[in-house]
Amino acid sequence: MNRLRNLLPNTLSYLWSGWGALASLLLFCAVWELVGEYYGDLILPGPLEVIGQLKLMFNSGIAGPELIISGRRTLYGLSLALAVGSLLGMLAGFSMTTSMLARPLITLLLGMPPIAWLVLAMLWFGLGDATPVFTVFIACLPIVFAGAMQGTRTLDNHLKAVAQVYRLPWHMRLTDIYLPHLASYLFPAWITALGTSWKVVVMAELLSTSDGIGAALAVSRAQLDTSSTLAWVVAVLGVLLAIEYLLLEPIKRHLERWRVGVSQ
Amino acid sequence: MSALQIRNLQHKYALTEVLSNINLDLAAGETLALVGPSGCGKSTLLHIIAGLLIPSEALIKNDFRGTACMFQEPRLLPWKTAEDNITLGLKALHVPKLARRQQAQNIAKSLGLTADDLNKYPHELSGGMQSRIALGRALIIKPDLLLLDEPFSALDIGLKLELYRLLRQHITERGSSVLMITHDLMEAVRLADRIVMMIPEPGRLIGEFTLQQSHAERSETWIYQTTAKLMANDRIRIGFGLAEGSLNLTEHLHTQHSGCSI
Repeated sequence: MNRLRNLLPNTLSYLWSGWGALASLLLFCAVWELVGEYYGDLILPGPLEVIGQLKLMFNSGIAGPELIISGRRTLYGLSLALAVGSLLGMLAGFSMTTSMLARPLITLLLGMPPIAWLVLAMLWFGLGDATPVFTVFIACLPIVFAGAMQGTRTLDNHLKAVAQVYRLPWHMRLTDIYLPHLASYLFPAWITALGTSWKVVVMAELLSTSDGIGAALAVSRAQLDTSSTLAWVVAVLGVLLAIEYLLLEPIKRHLERWRVGVSQ
Repeated sequence: MSALQIRNLQHKYALTEVLSNINLDLAAGETLALVGPSGCGKSTLLHIIAGLLIPSEALIKNDFRGTACMFQEPRLLPWKTAEDNITLGLKALHVPKLARRQQAQNIAKSLGLTADDLNKYPHELSGGMQSRIALGRALIIKPDLLLLDEPFSALDIGLKLELYRLLRQHITERGSSVLMITHDLMEAVRLADRIVMMIPEPGRLIGEFTLQQSHAERSETWIYQTTAKLMANDRIRIGFGLAEGSLNLTEHLHTQHSGCSI
């Protein structure tokens, strides 16, 4: 009941905090407009023209399907990376030995450029859906894995002792002790992985497929169409912002409502 | 018939011996205070009894069924409300949610917590409130054996006395056994039936004192006088480093109540 009563003010205060973000975005648009006017439309069309172009693309039915194709690939690759990375990272975190073994591997995987994975994926899977999905998966995996492992390793020993003394069964240790602590490490990792996944999927599509936003970008580049190129970029960034602020951030706030100074 | 028997307990951290030849009995319904200077291995011994540590060598017979522990810090789960923290042990025992809530409300009332406090997260509560919740979490599972690892050492005197009262009330009602460790002799005199002295390097038990006065008859004056008497005892003075001298350690504490009576 108490939580329900807090829901409305919390939602309103979250939306209110969006004004800051909006102001910052609009300021960026103003600078963009200024630079655009200086260099001219061919080099850098202003935000209004780009948004107009994007609207045109949506109305003519070009943008929607391409976004859905790219979104689907991102979703597959990212979900797989989130599931596998979180699970394996947690398992690795439970043991000192596996953490020590995993650490250099993570450094190695994080350091490997996604473009190198893309080339390998093209050789292994050809020019189909599997290539961007695999590249997204392998680029996001180490980020999520590292977050989950770090979270599991850093759980306070004092709380583990409480779990042991009060004889918490394994599923309660997971849901009442490990997961709430892990969430504060996993969520930032998931958000970073989300950003990476979109970057990688566009890059993979640009080089390996004939559909999706990446492929559409390749076409607009060939046609020297700067405003279409920017319209695609705006579409990708729009989806990214929407997922982060409308989906992940509210979930994070709900899960971390126990922290000092957050929402309550 | 004692419910906890420990014989020849030794414990080492790597090559350092921290506990040596510990023999200890705890009878059902008895409150035993383990006193000693900081670093003498009291907490290690308690953690062994709580099952948090496996001793290097020991014969332990433990007939107590439910065991609860209060640590030096409240150790509440920061992501759970006060109510969910109090009922943690009940949830582990698969008590349904409604029954848990009912019991939490009952115990909260006796601990001086309001319904509003129960909905708060630990960071929203004062240190004293957090200690009450930690005490509630330990008492709600109605343990046969309650282990106390100096949980009251950081609290102010008023709050301490109130929590002592709540604790004694619970012990009297339930007949639970308590093993408490403390470096505060007066706390031991106030709460315990028997006091065992421990000294460091390596941790050993060097003497025990039985307090025969019933808890109902322990007045403040009696507590002060008894503490003063104990403070004058050689074993305690040497054990706490207040006097020079060596202790005769040949005598082991195999049998219960073998020490001096006060």
